[in-house]
Amino acid sequence: MRLIGHVAVNVFKESVRDKVLYNLVAFAVLLIAVSYLLGQLTAGQDIKIIKDLGLAAIASFGRLIAVFIGIGLVWKEVERRSIYSLLSKPIRRHEFVLGKYAGLALTLFVNVVVMTAAFYAVLAYLNTQFPEAVRASWPAPATDPSMLRAIVLIFMELLLVTAVALFFSTFSSPFLSAALTCGLWVIGHFNSDLQSFETVVDSPAAAYLARALYYVLPNFAAFDIKTQVVYALPVPGSYMVATSAYALAYIALLLTTATVIFSKRDFK
Amino acid sequence: MSARVVALLVVLMGGVVGLQALHERGGGPPASTTASMLYVRSPEVVKRLALSYKSLLADVYWIRAVQHYGTTKLSTDPDKEYDLLYPLLDLTTSLDPRFNVAYSFGSIFLAEPPPGGPGRADLAIALLEKGLRAQPQRWELAQSIGFVHYWWRQDYDQAAAWFARAAAFPGAPDWMGPLAATTLAQGGNRESSRQLWQQVARDAEDEWYRNEAGRRLLQLDAMDQRDVLQEAVSAFQQRVGRLPSGWDDLRGAGYLQGTPVDPAGAPYRLDSGIVGLDSASPLGPLPRGLAPLR
Amino acid sequence: MDAILTEELTKHYTIGFWRPRPYVALEALSLHVRQGEVFGFLGPNGAGKTTTLKLLMQLTFPTSGRAEILGRPVGDVSVKRRIGYLPENPYFYDYLTAEELLQYLAGLFGYSAAECRRRVTSLLDDVGIGAERRLQLRKFSKGMLQRVGIAQAIINDPEVVFFDEPMSGLDPLGRREIRELILRLRDRGCTVFFSSHVLSDAEALCSRVAILVGGRLAAEGELSEMLAFQARAWEVVVAGLEDTVLESVVASGEVVRVTPLGARRYALELPLSVAPDRVVADLAARGAQLVSINPVRETLEDFFMRQIGAAPRDRGLEPLAR
Repeated sequence: MRLIGHVAVNVFKESVRDKVLYNLVAFAVLLIAVSYLLGQLTAGQDIKIIKDLGLAAIASFGRLIAVFIGIGLVWKEVERRSIYSLLSKPIRRHEFVLGKYAGLALTLFVNVVVMTAAFYAVLAYLNTQFPEAVRASWPAPATDPSMLRAIVLIFMELLLVTAVALFFSTFSSPFLSAALTCGLWVIGHFNSDLQSFETVVDSPAAAYLARALYYVLPNFAAFDIKTQVVYALPVPGSYMVATSAYALAYIALLLTTATVIFSKRDFK
Repeated sequence: MSARVVALLVVLMGGVVGLQALHERGGGPPASTTASMLYVRSPEVVKRLALSYKSLLADVYWIRAVQHYGTTKLSTDPDKEYDLLYPLLDLTTSLDPRFNVAYSFGSIFLAEPPPGGPGRADLAIALLEKGLRAQPQRWELAQSIGFVHYWWRQDYDQAAAWFARAAAFPGAPDWMGPLAATTLAQGGNRESSRQLWQQVARDAEDEWYRNEAGRRLLQLDAMDQRDVLQEAVSAFQQRVGRLPSGWDDLRGAGYLQGTPVDPAGAPYRLDSGIVGLDSASPLGPLPRGLAPLR
Repeated sequence: MDAILTEELTKHYTIGFWRPRPYVALEALSLHVRQGEVFGFLGPNGAGKTTTLKLLMQLTFPTSGRAEILGRPVGDVSVKRRIGYLPENPYFYDYLTAEELLQYLAGLFGYSAAECRRRVTSLLDDVGIGAERRLQLRKFSKGMLQRVGIAQAIINDPEVVFFDEPMSGLDPLGRREIRELILRLRDRGCTVFFSSHVLSDAEALCSRVAILVGGRLAAEGELSEMLAFQARAWEVVVAGLEDTVLESVVASGEVVRVTPLGARRYALELPLSVAPDRVVADLAARGAQLVSINPVRETLEDFFMRQIGAAPRDRGLEPLAR
């Protein structure tokens, strides 16, 4: 456990030194610039657009980091051979893999927290720019705390994407890993269409296959409740729990498999 | 791989599948009725944003339009708003002006009155006119405009004018000219309507369009049948001196055998001497203003 | 208990995607290294030295055979606390400084923060890295990286160290320093197992060597024994030798080779059959001064070349250049 944390801190340090956290600057600039422009052009619906944009940006920046750092997590160490001296120390291979994952999770956590804080700050400022009458007409207040639910699920999604990227990183090169991870994300996003496949397709074998895939492939669409929170529609706590449990189960599955693969590897 | 690891993997896989099943049973993400939001409605902006992916994006918007129509129609919401239908079709046809199925779809379902559609014949015509500007030689578009005037707005002068214009286009079928003339002379009539719908039932490429035409033809048949039944009711009233209270009276008087059913199989109803469709009949409501050709 | 033991350790690869062919990286290596000795693991490039080390570190898994370190099977985590490893051409995390890298690796052993710092500081002094220790590793030269590599290998005061080409990239001063460090390790009771293709280092440091050629063990034993019977000539260095005296000596047929060393100084090679003292006395009588007499031994290099020439080459494939 201690070793996992030790490796994790090192991964975090690497992402900081790789200037990954500069994306936070880009995020903040984007949000502030757009809200300023909207203020100049229109009046009224902007708060919804800012909320949508902010949530989408948190998700998008997070996904980029999860994929592009995730695919190199294990691969880089193997390719550059820094793993040789590392594995000669009293650390087990599974501790290494889990440590790498934890490190990127930590980086993402810091990222999301900072972006959320900036996001709420911008919303709080905008809140002061609108008259009381307009504010009363909004479905949800500007600094609505229930948006945190969407952000929590976004974070769970990022953890899952990271697990997918790390899984591929244990055995394939960065380019292939990136393609596979992004592909899996796109398919997982349209997972629900697999479910209705059987009504459209004639062959029962294909329908059965589609159904099996629906259950097995990661269902990324389930983590997207951005629209719901922006319109202040109810999201039951049970949904949050069930979806988070799904994410954790899938992450555990991926990490276990990644560990098994990594433990059997010959390093040439 | 040790047995313990295999067992762990099996358990985790089971957990994943089980939770996914749970998610599905719960109906997926919590329902968001206003999940339909178009950020960019301006066709100009979308065209610029689409870069080299215009056709693909047109397909996407088309799929969304059909989905939007379908889910709205099937939802149990009492007041259904098809508010995104026109914008989506507009975007589809702006990105790809030759997306002809979108024009056909819009010409019917934008004009369709609630609950089957938004009842906006004006939007349907606007869409079709835009299409004509992009494809000035396409007679089907002109015919569709005439059709909207004819079937939904009952503006037979306008309809006739558009049919005449369509007849002048290259490739227009031979019956277009006579149709224009008949419409001008006699206004709305069932024979012309039949002709128009039969042409669609024959030539349309999409199944939904053909099905729609089939349904309209059955409606026209129902109107004929209703007229016959209505005559029987009038005859009964003249002879007996009162309105029949039900089909039994007519049967008893010898005007009828059995219970009359409409072409879709639902029985006709007789209320206070007026013959009408059963409320559950898929053919209702019947269009108005179309009299038989004299 | 042996420090290191291998039994029939074998590693086969398959090379090629379309028509896989077998490649023998290591075949049935059986050797043992006693505790406290400095063991040289020699061989030409591609002989399988690095493969052996990777098998011992469990970076690769053997096709057959087994190996033990300090009585436990390789890969045992408790043993890893007591060993150190320097890989060939080491690469570390170039965004860390030398200090940070060593602290990271030291942390894996579970030392307290203070203990880590103490070890890191003294180690960096030992390997000769001064103010550069605060620089990021991406700015380090090869020689400095090598020193960092050695430091990380001994950070836990190991009982057995494995060095893969420890002198690589070092200038003569560096090589001397590392040689002295290895001797210090030996004096502390540490077992040093190092692979090299630089024979002079092995000659200077090792008590026992093994020579690996083409994946197979070609020779193994005490260095002194291997070279003991190989003294093949006497070398007599004389000064002040007049040309006439030299000519007569050469003419006598007793001298195998004459090497001029400048200013009437010559190295004369005499066969073993000729008693050197008689020749020296004779030359002294004619005015020459004796500088030195030495037996000419076969060098390790000569021995080595003979082993390479004799070893069979059939391992399925010519050794690949690395």
